[in-house]
Amino acid sequence: MESGIFHTTYRADMVLRRTHAQKARIVLLVAFVLAFPFFASRYGLTLANQVGIATIGAIGLNILVGYTGQISLGQGGFMAVGAYTAGILTARLGMPWYASTLVACLVTALVGAIFGIPSLRLKGLYLAIATLAAQEIIIWVVTHWEVVTGGVDALVVPNPMLFGVQMNTDFRFYWVVWGLAGLTALFTVNLFRTRYGRAFIAIRDQDIAAQVMGVDLFRYKLLAFAISSFFVGLAGALIAHYRNIVTWERFTIDVSVLYLAMIIIGGLGSVSGSFFGAAFMTLLPAALTNMSRALKNSIPVIDAVIPFIQQATFGLVIILFLIFEPEGLRKMWQDLKDYFRLWPFSY
Amino acid sequence: MSGIRKPIQTLLAVALVASLLLAACGGGGGESAEPIKIGAIHDLTGPTSDVGTPYAEGLKGYVAWRNENGGINGRPIELISADYGYKVDVAEQLYTQYVQEGVVAFQGWGTGDTEALRSRIAADKIPFMSASYSANLLDMEAAPYNFMIGTSYSDQAIIALRWAMDDWKSAGNDGAPKVAFIHHDSPFGKSPVPDAQAFAEANGIAFTAIPMPKGVTDYVAELAQAQQFGANYIIVHTVSSPAAVLVKDAQSQGLKDSIKFINLNWCADEIFIELAGDAAEGVVGAIPFTPPSSPVPGHEEPDNWLKAQGSSLTEKGLHYSQGWWTMAVMAEGVRRVLDAGEELNGENLRAALEGIKDFDTGGVTAPISFSSTSHKGNSALRLFQVQNGQWVQISDYISASP
Repeated sequence: MESGIFHTTYRADMVLRRTHAQKARIVLLVAFVLAFPFFASRYGLTLANQVGIATIGAIGLNILVGYTGQISLGQGGFMAVGAYTAGILTARLGMPWYASTLVACLVTALVGAIFGIPSLRLKGLYLAIATLAAQEIIIWVVTHWEVVTGGVDALVVPNPMLFGVQMNTDFRFYWVVWGLAGLTALFTVNLFRTRYGRAFIAIRDQDIAAQVMGVDLFRYKLLAFAISSFFVGLAGALIAHYRNIVTWERFTIDVSVLYLAMIIIGGLGSVSGSFFGAAFMTLLPAALTNMSRALKNSIPVIDAVIPFIQQATFGLVIILFLIFEPEGLRKMWQDLKDYFRLWPFSY
Repeated sequence: MSGIRKPIQTLLAVALVASLLLAACGGGGGESAEPIKIGAIHDLTGPTSDVGTPYAEGLKGYVAWRNENGGINGRPIELISADYGYKVDVAEQLYTQYVQEGVVAFQGWGTGDTEALRSRIAADKIPFMSASYSANLLDMEAAPYNFMIGTSYSDQAIIALRWAMDDWKSAGNDGAPKVAFIHHDSPFGKSPVPDAQAFAEANGIAFTAIPMPKGVTDYVAELAQAQQFGANYIIVHTVSSPAAVLVKDAQSQGLKDSIKFINLNWCADEIFIELAGDAAEGVVGAIPFTPPSSPVPGHEEPDNWLKAQGSSLTEKGLHYSQGWWTMAVMAEGVRRVLDAGEELNGENLRAALEGIKDFDTGGVTAPISFSSTSHKGNSALRLFQVQNGQWVQISDYISASP
């Protein structure tokens, strides 16, 4: 009979999966992810791919905001850097899509680190405004640097091919997206078991104390911006290759806010929370649309007001979630697991 | 750290089960003849909902009217549609969902979603119409299943330039006028610039393109730029509310007397007049869909239909008949497939649409023709001018290609 998880060695404390149930669940999860595309409809795959891309972007943002405590409103801009870099390299220079994706990640990491420089002096709301400036500057550059980006016009990206097979059908791209999402999750989970990850958390919890303990604030903050932006750039590059088309309209400030909402609702400073938030913010509107379709068939009179009810419900659900579980969906999942594992002696 | 164990199963399964259940409900509507499924996305809540709502109502109105009158060869049209709030992600979700449910054709809306979907459309072979008249969508290789009902933005701009040249001469001036093209800073706004510029250069018109910056409350700086350029005419290509702000600014700056304004279709409607008030007087509109204030036979059916519901076409405005007739052209293609006794699928529907020659919309648009080499419905429109708060016809059909 358990009443909680207790460690008697440092080694046990560092282990990622502590219980048998955890190990069983990860096996089930991997099996599910591998089996899903064979049973899913095309609509299901489209949703899964959108969730996968959003998960990578949300993990990236969570490294910066949730783990290092540096708030960022530049998410949309950094995604644009990734998408445009990948799109331009493939469309104009004919670089293979996997190579352009990697370069896009590195370029976004560099751009992220540059825009992270103000974080040494700025904190909290002031940093939010500085990163907001990054968002606006990047979108301004993208829409005005016509020679390179094509300005406000849509940039058409060729289909990603691998050994003569077109990769961006919903089914094939699923493997690309979820393979990379898995690697991103694995990297991030392990990052916070290293010296670097611990330094990020120390900065979040008390930056002065961290500095006193020998954490080089400037270096680690920039590193956090770079690592975070690397994954955000990956999400952007995947959008470019998945959809064959890049326009600035997809990377506006709304996107930055949406991703912040994802990680807040999902759970700050948590990889699983990033996934929960990404899935929630993508699937809830889709579920509402499908629900309203059912309603429309049974009560045709409300047809005209359904879109507004849908919008209001979306907002309401988010508010209610935040009121009843401010620590996010991750905490709800944790509580649920604890309830069953520790029953009847939980406290 | 709790890793990545998560109830994706539950969430996805719920969405999936819901959609399957709904598909099952939608399929067995109790009709004796199999319905013709057409998918559509509307903007009812997003940034273009002011014009998106009447357009969507027009699409739905035509379907309801047609079904009440026996459908297409006895088969009803089933319009499967939802609001997407001008979000490209949602448009992609709805598109794949509806294609999976077996729609044979699709009615889109904006430039963003239409461009984002075009490679999928080509791969899925789904004939697609939308309210985006960007000339990029006429590229037969990149967008082989996109059809355009309205006059393209490029043609609209060329027609506006043509009219400006004639007007300039008939006012007793020599040479060619100077024209500024003030546009929305987006793919939508910028798409006609290269074609308009080429036409202007070929005809000796001094031409400049000025984008309207986002998030500003007035356009005095852009007007000053046009004035400095010496513009005699300003072509406006944006949506109604910024266009109204622009002409109001022009009026308060005293520019309305020396510069003539020509608005392209998305800023030449009833909403523009309502928002601009007095400042709208004298503004010329390049409008591919005849406004209800100039009644034509093609307005009668939608008007009668609306009157039976206690509304009227005048109340709904020109975007209603735009949606109505866009759906009518799609229905004409479907009718041709059924008449020929062929299987109703995307390829046959595309071929049938390409066979449409001089389809009469009762004067709402210039006659519509498609061919296997061009999916541009027409390249002519009439010009209208705001007189006493109403759009009044001032020209016959002017074609972009003489």
